[in-house]
Amino acid sequence: MAAAALCRPASFFPRPASPGQRRRSGGSLASVSFPSACRFPGPRPCRFLRSASSSPSQWGMGVRCRAAGTESKAASDAAVRSGEPGQDRFWVADSGRLEFIDSYKLLQLTGTVQMREMKEQFLDNMDLERERGITIKLQAARMRYVLDNEPYCLNLIDTPGHVDFSYEVSRSLAACEGALLVVDASQGVEAQTLANVYLALENNLEIIPVLNKIDLPGAEPDRVAREMEEIIGLDCSTAIQCSAKEGIGIAEILNSIVTRIPPPNDTSQSPLRALIFDSYYDPYRGVIVYFRVVDGSIRKGDKIYFMASGKDYFADEIGVLSPNQMQVDELYVGEVGYLSASIRSVADARVGDTITHFGRRAASSLPGYEEATPMVFCGLFPVDADQFPELRDALEKLQLNDAALKFEPETSSAMGFGFRCGFLGLLHMEIVQERLEREYNLTLITTAPSVVYRVNCANGDIIECSNPSLLPEPGKRRSIEEPFVKIEMLTPKEYIGSLMELGQERRGEFKEMNYITENRASLIYELPLAEMVGDFFDQLKSRTKGYASMEYSFVGYRESDLVKLDVQINGEPVEPLSTIVHKDKAYAVGRALTQKLKELIPRQMFKIPIQACVGSKVIASESLSAIRKDVLSKCYGGDISRKKKLLKKQAEGKKRMKAVGKVEVPQEAFMAVLRLEKE
Amino acid sequence: MLRSTFLPFFISSPFPPAKAFALRAYLPRPPPVCKYSSSAQSPPPPPPPPPPPPTSAYVHLPFCRKRCHYCDFPIIALGSSTPHHPDTDPRISNYVQLLLREIAATRAWSDDCSPLETVFFGGGTPSLVPPGLVSSILDALKSRFGMCDSPEVSIEMDPGTFDKEKMERLLELGVNRVSLGVQAFQEELLRACGRAHGLKDVYEAIEIVTDCSELQNWSMDLISSLPHQSQEMWEESLRCAISARPAHVSVYDLQVEQGTKFGHLYTPGEFPLPTEMQSADFYRTASRMLSGAGYSHYEISSYCKDRYECKHNLTYWLNRSFYGFGLGSASYINGVRFSRPRRLKEYEEWVQKLEDGLVVLHEDISVDTKDMAMDVVMLSLRTAKGLDLRGFAKCFGKSLARSLCQALRQYVESGHVVAMDDDRNMLSYPEFELKMSEDSDEMGNAVASIRLSDPDGFLLSNELISIAFGIISP
Repeated sequence: MAAAALCRPASFFPRPASPGQRRRSGGSLASVSFPSACRFPGPRPCRFLRSASSSPSQWGMGVRCRAAGTESKAASDAAVRSGEPGQDRFWVADSGRLEFIDSYKLLQLTGTVQMREMKEQFLDNMDLERERGITIKLQAARMRYVLDNEPYCLNLIDTPGHVDFSYEVSRSLAACEGALLVVDASQGVEAQTLANVYLALENNLEIIPVLNKIDLPGAEPDRVAREMEEIIGLDCSTAIQCSAKEGIGIAEILNSIVTRIPPPNDTSQSPLRALIFDSYYDPYRGVIVYFRVVDGSIRKGDKIYFMASGKDYFADEIGVLSPNQMQVDELYVGEVGYLSASIRSVADARVGDTITHFGRRAASSLPGYEEATPMVFCGLFPVDADQFPELRDALEKLQLNDAALKFEPETSSAMGFGFRCGFLGLLHMEIVQERLEREYNLTLITTAPSVVYRVNCANGDIIECSNPSLLPEPGKRRSIEEPFVKIEMLTPKEYIGSLMELGQERRGEFKEMNYITENRASLIYELPLAEMVGDFFDQLKSRTKGYASMEYSFVGYRESDLVKLDVQINGEPVEPLSTIVHKDKAYAVGRALTQKLKELIPRQMFKIPIQACVGSKVIASESLSAIRKDVLSKCYGGDISRKKKLLKKQAEGKKRMKAVGKVEVPQEAFMAVLRLEKE
Repeated sequence: MLRSTFLPFFISSPFPPAKAFALRAYLPRPPPVCKYSSSAQSPPPPPPPPPPPPTSAYVHLPFCRKRCHYCDFPIIALGSSTPHHPDTDPRISNYVQLLLREIAATRAWSDDCSPLETVFFGGGTPSLVPPGLVSSILDALKSRFGMCDSPEVSIEMDPGTFDKEKMERLLELGVNRVSLGVQAFQEELLRACGRAHGLKDVYEAIEIVTDCSELQNWSMDLISSLPHQSQEMWEESLRCAISARPAHVSVYDLQVEQGTKFGHLYTPGEFPLPTEMQSADFYRTASRMLSGAGYSHYEISSYCKDRYECKHNLTYWLNRSFYGFGLGSASYINGVRFSRPRRLKEYEEWVQKLEDGLVVLHEDISVDTKDMAMDVVMLSLRTAKGLDLRGFAKCFGKSLARSLCQALRQYVESGHVVAMDDDRNMLSYPEFELKMSEDSDEMGNAVASIRLSDPDGFLLSNELISIAFGIISP
């Protein structure tokens, strides 16, 4: 199944949504769990503690999942006290496009959030998230809902939808019993919809199809419902039509959660097992862990043990999310909550880990835990060498909150001291870079991202290489293997041709094509991950007027005929511009790269040759002419203010540049290799 | 009551005693907190003596017959269909009245203020203003600030706007330096840039000026890089200029400004404007031909025969204070630069406020040290004399002076920047490197001054000065 392989992808969604885009594309998962009986304390004003948390970021381009949690058929207070399990159901929603506003409507309808507490898009707290229209971190909320005079407790888990973070998505799905499949009634099923549905089915979730945005003039709920039946094989006769914006269908969604999603199993007597589906670092309290109790129960003050990291802590504080954190003394099987235990780094309590009691350990941990494996690497260098210690501090701080972020020092003669950093994908990389610049006030040069190559050396060693400038010399290597991915693209049939062309250009191997409906086809290719890092997704979108969507998964390493392309500016090799390319493409890339650099590097006071070389052979060369004249001759009547302003602006323009030898190279030039096909 | 709501204007109110005055040599104020010198051994500069008061005045006379196509100065076009002769045009006399009011309302620097040493009538086309009115302005300046025994009194004059009689009249009034706006010696180029005069006017004007035996000190303005200008035309203009034997030549490289007719029509470097390469060659040609004819290239766009530098313009390059009067004019007093409104109506209101003592200074009185260092660098590097690193280090700290040298060292190597020792001998690049490495603490003293080379350094002055700016304000 596609979903099975949907892990640790590298990303390819580089661009944020246009600002101000109200309707968000993509979906996120939300789970709602209702442990039995909790009578909800009335909403108290409490601080919403979601701190700006780092990395896992998602940005759903067209695809977004929303898992809603279950409701639990809560019995009564007594039932809770007796430890009777609540009945939780989770729902995954997906894909199409459920806006955040949805969860917000749910919160509103259940009275979880008071009118005055409502901020637009309550669950989205980070500035960056709001700006990009993405959910970077999971959000969770618990609500109370009464149906037929019986109170239920629902827990909503909202997850990132971007493929960079599909591991986090899979863990939150694992924490649910049901999912809402939310599809945009004006758009239809997208590639990631399928991936998420498969993921949900794999986790045995009850799926409730929902058609959102039926208020839009272009909405075609019937057609989309048919499409869902055809493609996914889901019975959509009971699909709920809703409009989150207009508040249509929200009550129906809640009702069907209660009636259709099964309650959790009663395993309250078993040893504690709780699944972490999110964690973040709070500077005052340490790591805050979001989890769902799968077996047993947890009390405040318990000594707990994290089964994957092997760390033990005392749970100083436990509570529920309503959505503000609210302390409770005990959480029972089925419930979703948070705990704080003075944990120093999120790496100690990573998503997917199982919490158990230190004294009474569970026999086995919950399945599905994975170590984070960075797929994309790049160099981060401070423009000003003095900022190196600050950059290190900032990365360390970000890592507290981002177990997937890896870094180690890197030195380059051209760039000075910096760090080689590993990310889940390109979006993850961009988010980290942006946070470093925005929150830590650093000015950085980012080098073009690289995948991890596997080099079979002549002496029999196998070296993993994520930095093109460190690739062993040709004489010392026997072969190079590169990571391949399987990619599935869904497209209206008129764009099949141009997508096949794209697949061929990117060294793709055609695997399969199916018409999923009369007008839409699924194309499957296998291609090198390196060809996808960069503008692949932009190309996919621009060649199909935005109609195609894609999903991919890692399939393994394969040998390719690769060479290292070096760049020399003014006769000096610039290592960060080195890139590994297929031998057949070296000339074309070399030519395009030198031309692009000529455009990007401002002219200087002397002529600058720009060359691309393979080994010692120059395969492409351009020359940037010198500035001949840059003089303001008249200083009229002593009025120097305007002239000074111009010169200040000119000085300002030099600041984002890195001096490589004598040449000032702007930040964009280091990403040039990604943008060769843009024009 | 109302008065208290406005910041006192620097001229119309007594200075707050706490404010430090620094204008020693060309540095108007000391850095209040000398960040750059704090780094190490170099102690903060001692409190400098009070700055010298202005001894220069710029007077703006904005009237023109029409606006030239490249011009974005604050001017008032009289138009060709005006019913009035310039001598009787009420717009001119009314404006001069306003000027006189501004001069009268401007407080003298102090009781024992220094008399004016230079006055510059700029425009616009000051030669359109009747000599009688020019005389009244000079009288007003004299009575307000005093005038030294032999002041330099310059006036800009355009061909076609004066005759022999007017010329003589102006000389009688005390004008002793003329700047003649010739711009080009080709009829088609004069037309192309929208000048109100033709080639015939140019030769007549030159004849009038050279006929006045008492007027030795006159200057000619030329513009290079005009549309359709060729290398031959430019050389011809320079030859004609040299044969007219002015004491001073100003060569301006055409700046295509937004909002001007040229700004609408042309893009720099594209036809019909010369390419950047041609335009750079024009600059080199001017430097070569004028130097060959005995002129010294003492500032980016100024050339003169020995001792005929424009004293008034030197005030600017030396960062000394000066008064400014009239529409859109700039003044620089006590470390504060101020530009008057560029529109007549607003200027009139401003003069009224000045008279009422209510003038708001549009910028903060406190002058930023960095800004001051930038002014010094930007202005002094325009001159052949260059930047005195000793004086600079005293005011802004040795480490900053050193950083500047560091940043410019590759341009010393490339020959764009010339480093000099105390006797103004040029240091070769190895000598410069040696001085730099000798004693890092004494670096501020190892190289006495730097200047931009002529013509290569001057040609890229923006680039070089902005590099220095980046060091001063990182």
